[in-house]
Amino acid sequence: MRVSITINAVQCLLEIEPGEILLDILRREGYVEVKGDCRTGDCGACTVLFDGKPIASCMMLAAKADGHAVTTVRGIGDQRNPHALQRAFVHNGAIQCGYCIPGAITSAKALLDENPEPTREDICLAMDSNYCRCTGYEQQIEAVLEAARELREGGSR
Amino acid sequence: MGAITGYYRAMSCDDARAKAKSLGSAAAYVGGGVELVLRRNPEVATLIDLSQCGLDRIVKTTEALSLGSQVTLAAISRDADVKAYAGGSLAYLAGHIAHNNLRNMITIGGAIGRNQPWNDVVPHLIALGAYVEIQDDQERVMPLSDFIGHREPGTLILGVRLPLVNADLHGFLWRFTRTQQDISLLHCSALIGVQGGTVSTATVVYAGRPGGTAVYPKVAAELVGQPVRAETFLRAGDTAVRSVEVGDDLRASGNYRRELVRAAMTRLGEEMTGVAQ
Repeated sequence: MRVSITINAVQCLLEIEPGEILLDILRREGYVEVKGDCRTGDCGACTVLFDGKPIASCMMLAAKADGHAVTTVRGIGDQRNPHALQRAFVHNGAIQCGYCIPGAITSAKALLDENPEPTREDICLAMDSNYCRCTGYEQQIEAVLEAARELREGGSR
Repeated sequence: MGAITGYYRAMSCDDARAKAKSLGSAAAYVGGGVELVLRRNPEVATLIDLSQCGLDRIVKTTEALSLGSQVTLAAISRDADVKAYAGGSLAYLAGHIAHNNLRNMITIGGAIGRNQPWNDVVPHLIALGAYVEIQDDQERVMPLSDFIGHREPGTLILGVRLPLVNADLHGFLWRFTRTQQDISLLHCSALIGVQGGTVSTATVVYAGRPGGTAVYPKVAAELVGQPVRAETFLRAGDTAVRSVEVGDDLRASGNYRRELVRAAMTRLGEEMTGVAQ
């Protein structure tokens, strides 16, 4: 079946099988920044924004994304033009092996879009999807708080 | 999910129901799709997508708060009317089940349709006195507790109605879990009405015993007509321990669960008497 999915603001016409999951489609199309780990919706490594809301792409049927917008961490910012969250994660040492970071930043982006002044509790709840087994969570929380401050003070984005 | 060969986007509820009827057990409705992906049914070859059927709205009428079957848990947790209903217990529950990614995907219709034994949504809705709106050969509304026990395959869940007559009662929810994201070792939900310092109405539901949801009228009867005091709930706890069937599994022993059954009533008492921390 053919579907039209807007991935990182680019409309993509894709040929998929009806039972395929979104994670597999994205990685096949070259969006390898979306990581696949548990494939049971537990770990958060595969988090993408679906019409602006974070979801587990390993649990979503790709056919359900037809006509919708999907944003990966690359659509939030890249090395040349990093988002305030990406800068803050580096600045706060919130990255070690890096495997979980695309998902963590994507969840944090959805939070800050909805709530520019989150509390620590808001951050914990919004990022409760995202497991990290290296750095722990404290640096990630600090990074999100720092990015939120920067964005409120008129940071680039 | 290699067995899936068809994906049908229904444009209306009638369309979805007709397709399901024509395909029988080879078709399944898709809500959020989480359960379909996690637990694949080899018999199902065609998925029927309900996202275009207008079932993704929360509407407040003069009689009920209606939640369309395609409304996600995240949407429920943020809705102002749900937050105001029965003290906001359903909004809290919907905002703390599983994790954020899944709350943005899981629909209330999917939770009811699948009704896995570890489900926390269904027992709480039953305690709140919810009705389910369904479509099989005709549209019908029935108590959710009746629907859960007698569900016919192929029935389309249109939504849930929370009667406004219960809106000012006190919704109680206690999920005892090993971690926040774990399934419940024991779930207790209740809906309590108080008039003049006396319990006027009560519904008590236990789940995760392990096993599905069960309503306990005997425990509720212990509360009704009694003053809102700690002793009332301690007595109800004794009755609950005698009434609620519990069992062993990998998460907890039956004996441990029995103590949790009592603890739930103690916690309800603390909440109702205003001393809960």
